[in-house]
Amino acid sequence: MQRRTFGRLVAAAGILLASTALTIPTTMAQSEKTITGGFDVGPGGYPGNFHPHQATAGFTWLSTYYEPLVIYNPDLSEIVGALAADVSISEDSLQYTFKLADAKWHDGEPFTSADVKFSLELAKNPDSGSLFAARLGDIASVEAPNDSTAVVTLGKPNAAFLAILTQVMMLPEHLLGSRDPAELANSDWWSTEPVGTGPFKFVQYVSDQYVELAAFDDYRNGRPKVDRLINRYFANAAAAVAALKAGEIQFTYVEPDDAKTFEGNDGFRVIEGDSYVVNYIGFNHKVDLWQDVRVRQAVMYAIDRDQIIESLYGGAAKVASCGYVAPQIVPGGLNDYAYDPEKAKALLAEAGWDQISGGETIPWLTYYNSPQVGNVMAAIQAMLAQVGINVSPRAVDVPTYNGIVRGTDWDQFPLVYAGAQNGPNPASLNVNLNAAQVPPVGNNIMHIDMPELTEAIETAMAETDTSKSNELWQQVCGVMNEKMPWGSMWVASRYGVASANLKDFYWTPAPAGGPYQAHPENWDIAP
Amino acid sequence: MSQYIIRRVAVGFFMLLALTVLIFGLLRLAPGDPIDAYINPSVPMSASDLDALRVRLGLDQPLPVQYLAWLRAALSGDFGYSIQRGGIPVLPLVLDRIGPTILLMFSGLVIAIVVGIATGILSAVRRNTATDVSLSVLSFIGISSPAFLTALLGLYGFSVMLDWAPSGGMLTPGAPFSLGDLLSHLVLPACLLSIAHSAMIMRYMRASLLEVLSQDYVRTARAKGVREFWVIVKHAVRNALLPVITLIGSTIGIAIGGAIFIESVFNWPGMGLLMINAVTRRDYPVIMCATLLTGACVIIVNLLTDIIYAAVDPRIKVS
Repeated sequence: MQRRTFGRLVAAAGILLASTALTIPTTMAQSEKTITGGFDVGPGGYPGNFHPHQATAGFTWLSTYYEPLVIYNPDLSEIVGALAADVSISEDSLQYTFKLADAKWHDGEPFTSADVKFSLELAKNPDSGSLFAARLGDIASVEAPNDSTAVVTLGKPNAAFLAILTQVMMLPEHLLGSRDPAELANSDWWSTEPVGTGPFKFVQYVSDQYVELAAFDDYRNGRPKVDRLINRYFANAAAAVAALKAGEIQFTYVEPDDAKTFEGNDGFRVIEGDSYVVNYIGFNHKVDLWQDVRVRQAVMYAIDRDQIIESLYGGAAKVASCGYVAPQIVPGGLNDYAYDPEKAKALLAEAGWDQISGGETIPWLTYYNSPQVGNVMAAIQAMLAQVGINVSPRAVDVPTYNGIVRGTDWDQFPLVYAGAQNGPNPASLNVNLNAAQVPPVGNNIMHIDMPELTEAIETAMAETDTSKSNELWQQVCGVMNEKMPWGSMWVASRYGVASANLKDFYWTPAPAGGPYQAHPENWDIAP
Repeated sequence: MSQYIIRRVAVGFFMLLALTVLIFGLLRLAPGDPIDAYINPSVPMSASDLDALRVRLGLDQPLPVQYLAWLRAALSGDFGYSIQRGGIPVLPLVLDRIGPTILLMFSGLVIAIVVGIATGILSAVRRNTATDVSLSVLSFIGISSPAFLTALLGLYGFSVMLDWAPSGGMLTPGAPFSLGDLLSHLVLPACLLSIAHSAMIMRYMRASLLEVLSQDYVRTARAKGVREFWVIVKHAVRNALLPVITLIGSTIGIAIGGAIFIESVFNWPGMGLLMINAVTRRDYPVIMCATLLTGACVIIVNLLTDIIYAAVDPRIKVS
């Protein structure tokens, strides 16, 4: 009896094994040239998101099959045309005229101004689940005078408008125009049969495993050099590094510590780039402790940033004296807050906070969970303790962090360690620093309310002339340096590693993944 | 018997209901919601856009209202849409993952049963020899190694250093399906998954067999001149298997727990990976549906084990 039962169990297991193996879907045949990469690994990626208007990151990958009207150039210094061959802006900075490139959708239909009108109106419509609705709120109208011209009129000038448009992907009006925007928010169209104009077209998404694209023969800049592009998903960057070392993928983002292990290895190319993210120590301005600027400055003097950059970042970071480090927008004569623990103690005493911790520790919240940031925070913790400020780092996951800092329980986050995107357009910092941007409107989670800073930022953002706006951003930098809304630490480099057999492959660690002109149609792989 | 089954099914149903209340409550105790998971803290997001999304998804409603709305829909078979996956319906998403998880779990289980029983027999027969001691030491290491540790060490050793097996996934991306490809991806996670389980089975098998070997009927068999091999296999092992079958059934829940770790390390597209991804991104509808199905599986397997046990051993009265 027992043996029979046991035998039955084994037989049942065998049948289950066989039936599962048979039901696993077959994939398309492998062709000659395939590039496989972890394109959604790291802070710029957004694995599992297929709706381009709901993307907060992942634009490196999305822009291999969709395209925006305008896009950043490869070094992110300038916005250039993508699906718009040419952009002209009226004198009053209200009217943008886009001359469209001669492009085709993956299904062969021509790309026209009707698609531009449809895409922008959809992105502006909050019912569609678009995360661009508020940012595109300045659009008064979108006109399509002829098939190859689109005219966008703004209600008021917005110097960041083109920068926002770089992330708004164009969508096919002929396929989606008749559908209800609310229904599109929850549609499987995005992950099963999306149609774009990019160099590659969608083949399939194997849930949580990979996304497969195939070369688009009619791409306007010529057919891509490889036949297939595969974006493999990984649970974390370390798993992607294992696959890269095992030769299963040809590219991935890597953590700085992992990047070092590839140095001097001829089989790989380490790509270093500016993260465009400034790391800062955020002082919660609702907490009494930080009301006096001298206390905030004391924190800066207590931290030996050069030492941390040297020993924990291997020199691959730049000290930040304000929210950004780009030379054209940083003025001369700033206070560099060079390491001076005695001065820190003196400032604390002057401000009446020399017993700052009063025997208790100050919770220091972060969403960074990497070992490197753990070490950085431990080093800062030790340095602050030298001047009598006792902090206890607390690392949580992103939703928990956002849930806490967007609430009002100030004791939970008197101090944070965070990052803020500071480029390519410095106006990105507006949502973090402008007094009008406290949650739920924006992301000013530290409740910074400095009229002088807000005014300086708003003036700089309204200026569309580049040379004048650089000068205005220098003023913003000066205010940040003096008033210390937060303690700017550094801008660190980020890394990717590509296999040496990739040819003409371009990648840079752009915030949110860009998009930028990566020209995936030129990417090639040596046999 | 049928009355017993009906009662057990009814209790199981209420347990599932309690499970959904518990999971729903626990999830909401954690700070942050699915919309908070959307916000990349370093990327400038206009928070008001996200608040509009929160209202559209009904996340601004009081908790009991949200729970009842979920329950009403779930009872009619509608588990809603995944919040983090561009609106893919939850039920097909979760059902798609059952196949790979069963494949991984049963492969691990079969390896664990074969290895565990074989080493358990060997250990008992060679009691107090060097073989027994070394197998016992290995089994203690196996039992005390957490799944996430063995998974990471196995991945590093066999995949990165030795290059014997792929580093993750279920199939080579973009390659045509082949059974060999599937098996090459399966073998490493299945073996690692089986370690703790086989060690546990080995300990039980050894103890149970030692007990049986000292029984009178075994001595009788030996006295009748039956060869030692057949005494062990035919007389002793058959009887010693009974508690081991119980163990296998009652540890299915533990196996599911181990599979969650293994799946996340090896990116195996099963329920475990789905649940981990859903939890980190606060994808409530997916977590609820996956937990409900997993809970149902554990309850059903335990019920089946009790019934099989009663059928195998008539001395046991189920009621």
